[in-house]
Amino acid sequence: MDSKAIKIAANNVQVYYADTHAIKDVNVEIEDKTVTAFIGPSGCGKSTFLRCLNRMNDTIDICRVEGDILLDGEDIYDKRVDPVQLRAKVGMVFQKPNPFPKSIYDNVAYGPRIHGLAKNKAELDDIVEKSLRRGAIWDEVKDRLDAPGTGLSGGQQQRLCIARAVATEPEVLLMDEPCSALDPIATAQVEELIDELRSRYSVVIVTHSMQQAARVSQKTAFFHLGNLVEFGETGQIFTNPEDPRTESYITGRIG
Amino acid sequence: MALSWLLLILLALAVIGYFAGRSRALASVGGDARDLHSLPSYYGYNVALTALVPAIGVLIVWLLAQPMIVNSTVSGLIPDQAIPEGSDRGLIMSEVRRVAYGLDGAVSSGAMTEAQAQDGDADIEILTKSLKDAGQVLTQDVTQPILVAAQKFRSMTSTGTIAMQVVVLALALLGAAFAYVRTHKEFRARNVVEQGVLALLLLAASIAILTTIGIVLSMLFETMNFFQLHSWKDFFFGSTWAPNFRGGSELSILPLLWGTLYISVIALLVAVPIGLFAAIYLSEYASGVTRSIAKPLLEILAGIPTIVYGLFALLTVGPALVSMFGDGGVLGVGWMASSNAVLTAGLVMGIMLIPFVSSLSDDIINAVPQSMRDGSLGLGATHSETVRNVILPAALPGIVGAILLAASRAIGETMIVVMAAGAIAKFSGNPFEAMTTITTRIVSQLTGDTDFASPETLVAFALGLTLFIITLGLNIFALYIVRKYREQYE
Repeated sequence: MDSKAIKIAANNVQVYYADTHAIKDVNVEIEDKTVTAFIGPSGCGKSTFLRCLNRMNDTIDICRVEGDILLDGEDIYDKRVDPVQLRAKVGMVFQKPNPFPKSIYDNVAYGPRIHGLAKNKAELDDIVEKSLRRGAIWDEVKDRLDAPGTGLSGGQQQRLCIARAVATEPEVLLMDEPCSALDPIATAQVEELIDELRSRYSVVIVTHSMQQAARVSQKTAFFHLGNLVEFGETGQIFTNPEDPRTESYITGRIG
Repeated sequence: MALSWLLLILLALAVIGYFAGRSRALASVGGDARDLHSLPSYYGYNVALTALVPAIGVLIVWLLAQPMIVNSTVSGLIPDQAIPEGSDRGLIMSEVRRVAYGLDGAVSSGAMTEAQAQDGDADIEILTKSLKDAGQVLTQDVTQPILVAAQKFRSMTSTGTIAMQVVVLALALLGAAFAYVRTHKEFRARNVVEQGVLALLLLAASIAILTTIGIVLSMLFETMNFFQLHSWKDFFFGSTWAPNFRGGSELSILPLLWGTLYISVIALLVAVPIGLFAAIYLSEYASGVTRSIAKPLLEILAGIPTIVYGLFALLTVGPALVSMFGDGGVLGVGWMASSNAVLTAGLVMGIMLIPFVSSLSDDIINAVPQSMRDGSLGLGATHSETVRNVILPAALPGIVGAILLAASRAIGETMIVVMAAGAIAKFSGNPFEAMTTITTRIVSQLTGDTDFASPETLVAFALGLTLFIITLGLNIFALYIVRKYREQYE
């Protein structure tokens, strides 16, 4: 495990919403080809921190980020970095499935079209098929690529959104509670997919379910009140946590 | 007793009833309001409403029905031979009413005694003279049948009014007494008041709907009269609009419809891009502060009376366009002879519609869920790519609805066109020429001394009804589209 390269390194990250200090002094190293889970009670800042990793917080006027976040050793908050390009490299899947009101094909082709990834229609078709296969949804939708993406079931929509995110060939996939709006069967399918995605991408997942974190992740970070309390191997965190707050949380005494 | 006194008495009864009901309810539980089924004020409202509502309802119906009944009875009294040639029963009836009011006025000013006014054998000449001396307006000499009818009219009206007052007051008292007797701690006053409120709301809603039906029906009858006098083929399929009050007019809607649509299209060409882009800026790009200042400012445009837009067109836009496209203008093309032109009216109407389009579109764009924006931005799209590829397609049905609503306003707009478009009805594609629209022709056919029996006047109703149907169709279509859009995200 230790041999894996560091994909994202955060040093002394502070986030403020106007006067509220939402993230306090977070240091974390996220490895390549690993699933890292962020757990913690609601409002602890795990989603906020996740959104720092692809600068989605830039779209919120009152949000201010301090400290360094390095992607492959390069500061993503550097002035030379184009946040739009960054977001193509660091894909994101949201809490609620949010397919665009377009066809399944157009949903997946959206990113490649914007970034000019395909030279012609045949190549675009290839990218769409490949992405849908990686999203583990190809077999279910291959006969109705022209049907609207909003007509799929919740679990299918979320896998479509994952396929849409991988279509731009990202290096990191950020998932903000991707299963919180899904039923147990759809959740199991998405979790299985996350495990497959690990072979290609660095995956960061925010989750409220500790069982889910234990099932899908190799590394776990526990956030509490804006602080990163503990970060380590998932097995270690869940069986033998160092910090008493982590233990209280995973045994259900706080949160 | 005047109507206002009657209303005041009813109101006083209601107020007294409120306090009486309230204190009776409290007395029934020995002053402890907690033992009552409802709050004490509900018992008060119950008495007040039970007194007021039926009485006022009867009052309204009576006020509407009495003149109709009196009119038809009195009109039956006038023999056919009493109607002079070239006149009709309606004209005689208005003369009867005039004499009746004249008698009323003369009696109340003391120029005549009540007995004189009611004297059926009175000398007509003396009566006419004393009426005129009393300052009452008579258009023609009073004849015996008219006088008899007028006296009948007076007596029926006054008996009717007295009966109305008695009935209304009795109803109010009965209602108050009934509710007062029923007031007891077990009585569910709260539920009864709820019913009363429901009835009130229902009344308001049905008045609005009934008025619409009334408007349509009145237009419909006049339109049917018009089509009895004028061929419908000429109206719908003719090619010339040439009203002539001496008869032989050609009254075709088509040139007017062409002018209306032409001006509306220019207005929409101005309003839709500007309004839509303004809406996109305000909802997607502007900061909270800018938005809170700019949006009300933009909506002020919607509050400007259209006559002011008309002045703006007449004094500013028209001359400016002439100085550009007219003889010796900046462009040196000499296309535009006068400031009255389709283009002038269209431009100014477009400006008028900007806030309409932008405000509706802004609401619709804001209704697109934030998750759509996040999804697109999260894939590395820029802000404008997100607007173009995700937000506008998602909001499109709503925006189309907004545009259709704006179009129906443009079609119905009158004042700007009167002042800026000229008055020539013709088919022409040249935007620098004067043209006219349906609405302005309705105004011109109805202003001045009009005779409601000639096709030249009645055509206004046919035009109005056609316009109403066009805009109604557009509105229904727009609402259908907007509603269909709303279902997408719910």
